[in-house]
Amino acid sequence: MEIRPIVSALLRNKTGALLIAAQIALTLAIVSNAAYIIRDRVAVSSRPSGIDDESRIFNITVGSIDKPDDAIAQQKREEQLLAALPGVESVASSNQVPLGQSGWNMSLFLDKAQTESSAHMAFYFTPGPLVKTLGLKLIEGRDLIEADVDEIDMGNDNRLGHVAVISQALARKLFPGGESATGEHVFVGNAADAPEYEIVGVVERLQSPWSQHGDDGEYSLITAIRPIESYANYIVRTAPGQVDRVMRDAEAALTRPGSDRQVIDKQTMTETREQRYRADSAMVWMLVTVTVLLLLVTASGIVGMATLWVNQRRKQIGVRRALGARRFDILRYFLTENLLISSAGIALGCVLALALNQLLVSRMELARLPLGYLGGGSLALWLLGVVAVYGPAWRAAVISPAIATRSA
Amino acid sequence: MLKMTRLSKIYRTRMIETHALRGFDIHVREGEFVAVTGPSGSGKTTFLNIAGLLEDFSSGNYLLDGVDVSGIDDNARSRLRNEKLGFIFQGFNLIPDLNLFDNVDVPLRYRGFAAAERRRRIEQALEQVGLASRMRHYPAELSGGQQQRVAIARALAGTPRLLLADEPTGNLDSQMARSVLELLEAINAMGTTIVMVTHDPELAARAQRNVHIVDGQVTDVMHETAMRAVERIDASMHSNA
Amino acid sequence: MFRYYLQLGFRSLRRNPVLTLLMVITLSVGVAASMSTYTVLHMMSGDPIPNKSDRLFVPQIDTGNMIGYTAGEEPDDQLSYPDTQRLLASGQGVRRTAIFGINSAITPERADMAPLLTDGGATTSDFFAMFEVPFRYGNPWHAEDDARNSDVIVLSRATSEKLFGDVDPVGRELKLGDASYRVVGVLGEWEPLPRYYRIINGNGGAFAGSDDFFIPFSAAVRHEKRNSGNNNCSGDAPAAGYAGWIASDCTWIQFWFEGASADDQFVIKAWLDNYAAEQLRLGWLKRPVNTRLRNTMQWLKHLEVVGRDSRIQAWLAFGFLLVCLVNTVGLLLAKFSARAGEVGVRRALGATRREIFHQYLIEASVVGLVGAALGLALSFAGLWLISKQSGAMAAVARMDWTMLLATVLLSVLASLIAGFLPTWRACQVRPALQLKSQ
Repeated sequence: MEIRPIVSALLRNKTGALLIAAQIALTLAIVSNAAYIIRDRVAVSSRPSGIDDESRIFNITVGSIDKPDDAIAQQKREEQLLAALPGVESVASSNQVPLGQSGWNMSLFLDKAQTESSAHMAFYFTPGPLVKTLGLKLIEGRDLIEADVDEIDMGNDNRLGHVAVISQALARKLFPGGESATGEHVFVGNAADAPEYEIVGVVERLQSPWSQHGDDGEYSLITAIRPIESYANYIVRTAPGQVDRVMRDAEAALTRPGSDRQVIDKQTMTETREQRYRADSAMVWMLVTVTVLLLLVTASGIVGMATLWVNQRRKQIGVRRALGARRFDILRYFLTENLLISSAGIALGCVLALALNQLLVSRMELARLPLGYLGGGSLALWLLGVVAVYGPAWRAAVISPAIATRSA
Repeated sequence: MLKMTRLSKIYRTRMIETHALRGFDIHVREGEFVAVTGPSGSGKTTFLNIAGLLEDFSSGNYLLDGVDVSGIDDNARSRLRNEKLGFIFQGFNLIPDLNLFDNVDVPLRYRGFAAAERRRRIEQALEQVGLASRMRHYPAELSGGQQQRVAIARALAGTPRLLLADEPTGNLDSQMARSVLELLEAINAMGTTIVMVTHDPELAARAQRNVHIVDGQVTDVMHETAMRAVERIDASMHSNA
Repeated sequence: MFRYYLQLGFRSLRRNPVLTLLMVITLSVGVAASMSTYTVLHMMSGDPIPNKSDRLFVPQIDTGNMIGYTAGEEPDDQLSYPDTQRLLASGQGVRRTAIFGINSAITPERADMAPLLTDGGATTSDFFAMFEVPFRYGNPWHAEDDARNSDVIVLSRATSEKLFGDVDPVGRELKLGDASYRVVGVLGEWEPLPRYYRIINGNGGAFAGSDDFFIPFSAAVRHEKRNSGNNNCSGDAPAAGYAGWIASDCTWIQFWFEGASADDQFVIKAWLDNYAAEQLRLGWLKRPVNTRLRNTMQWLKHLEVVGRDSRIQAWLAFGFLLVCLVNTVGLLLAKFSARAGEVGVRRALGATRREIFHQYLIEASVVGLVGAALGLALSFAGLWLISKQSGAMAAVARMDWTMLLATVLLSVLASLIAGFLPTWRACQVRPALQLKSQ
């Protein structure tokens, strides 16, 4: 339709149009990159840990000042004490918690002769039903049993267990041919006296305490050890909705008068997850805020500029109406004009977005922006432009044609 | 061509009710060149706005080229303006951001003509007003008289049935005014009906018929023409003597 | 004239209230977003000890074995116990110290108080002078205490007050783990940001947490204290027991040299390379010489103390400010061009173009000032939101005077930049033209 005259009119009044186009370009550049980061962070922080219904899990770490002489007996007593609390479904002590951000990271070797390790993996150990307590899905072989447990005085004894359940991701990494991992033997370290493990089972998924972004976030091994230590960390599964109450009861029971235990740490799995992804969710909120504000600012800029243009062209609009333009024609004129400016801004914005992404890729090690985000961002800004300009354009459309005969 | 009967226009604000036109009767026949005169505030502009379908009227009857326009909607009015009417304004009202070609093009776009047809009409209209060579110029590069001629070209390009002119020479010096008026007369001679609003009696004298408005009513339509006729007779008698 | 223009500026704020409000909000939101994220960055990347950061050095030595060796790989960030001992005895620089973290319970004298679970550091007497640690009571222990493995302890102010109340506890005894220590000093307020002296720690990271106590390195080893931070063993597993562990090439100790001047970096680096070559010859080190010696700021950069997320946020926030600026230019343009008539009148009454320029630029900066006030308030709100994220963020999301001033300057500068184009355009208005058409 009337694109050419609109363009030539625009070219004679460049400043405002350029400002709006620049604003749209910058907005698109920032918003498309922000949207991509947001989606990426949301995807990362919603990966499953392997735990069935995390809202029912908590962990509590207790310690004594001196290493007790009956550390093993004390741990067993405490496990029974916790298991007997109302609302408790299962208890297992464990050296670390998935997503807990601290723990044991070990190198795994299929053969001691290897110079490069086969995988770096999270090393879980437990004397109890950890697989059942976390609700991990056993997809091959068997779970660890009481008879597998080695009692080890950590720090003075270099043994580290002898049977293992591993995660499916680790099994695939170790045996990429797809052969069954069960029955295979692996080593932690490649020293002459490196501990050897027989793999007895595979669980579908178990994230490491660090839940790294790559596949290695799911490389985990669980072995059966009862450590002789001055502290113990218990993981507890509760009945639905009772996790907070049970955690309070557990603390009271473990530190009851006469006990020398102190609570070093306690956390529900929900809190653990929140803490693990706190930086990510902070980033997401910051970017969502910036995105929303940006769109608002840009929309307000378009409204402001369009209002100015309408006011400046009241007479002209009246003349057009007098010459036979329908209200719809006037509305369409401003919408088309806006669409032209938006399109120019969006074209520039796509270039800027890729440039900004290139900067983020090279300086911040971010991933490359998928082009779909540019498409989505462009569409959103086109839409934003139309919505923002609609008000001023409508006010232009209802200007009376009689204004044309007014002198001045 | 244009027939208003017992037309009235009332502007209402919260405090005041102004009767801009009351019991207004006028009949312009096809091919006429009518001048509408009157002191300022008499209702000339209101009449022009209503005649040009730029404003609605409060009561009465208005037939434009045989069409009863009372109560038709905004889109239909736009179409009538576009197809049957041409406007010439005192302030020219060219669009400053468009060159002459694009200015004349404006009403033709709304008419929905094909590009080739529009081009033919624009060139012809600009030719007619003697500005075909300056098609790519912008209004600011032209003198007032030239601008008004572009405005006339814009009005003519759509081959209107009725040309409405609002003080077409008000912003021009006398020499330019004369050439514009001559142009209007030539257009009228080719069959286009013209209604011109002016407060300049000299200009009005060149029209075939004068309509005088006072306080929103037509007074004594024939009076002035009759007087002038008498004057002319006097003059010829003197010259004879 | 300046005051007159200022008055006009403030008066004009009320003229198009919606447009003006929009401008002020746009500007202040942009300033607040960029300043609150930049403040975090500024605090994170600050120099914790500006007077000597260029002569405090951290050594790194590659203690790995030849299995999986890649030339030029970054050596571990911490040292092994045997290397630490030899570096402490090296005599290089003016001071040397080593530190590792300890997790231990302190049993108060009063029987009715529960033991305190505490985090602290095992270090040498030079530590306190090297890092200019202020003392509220007492003094650091002496070099002889290091040599004699004395059971002495320096407490943080908070720990001291928890254990003894607000009194001078120097000379009193307390039980740390299962041994008794004599208090020799209590620290004053000391919260370097970041915690550069022991970035690698298990109790709060670079920006949060603090050490509750310090004991002599030698005493900690005598009491077989294991470190509570990172422990990286590359080769064969250490022999069983504490003695086996400290004799191994496992790295778990952070080390610092203090040079007499920044130039000592070259001297000490050369010595370190010699040392590594010597140890390679003696068979302690297995890999070809591969050492580093970084000064404080290089060390903080190496450990990526400034979070990548914080930098991305600051970048995007400044991009946002840029959009706000462009937007303000547009809005000011709208506001000023609506007043072309006024300019025409002023010009007709004898105002020079220069005077119009001044008037409108001052008017633009009035918008900036109001925006600055609001922006400052919003920045504090933004920082408050950021500080809710975590303890570390709470430590860095604090505005200092520099940032406060920078915020105000930024808003005014932003509005001046934004006001420039519209002002220039307003100056182009010719006197007669506008009078006629009004």
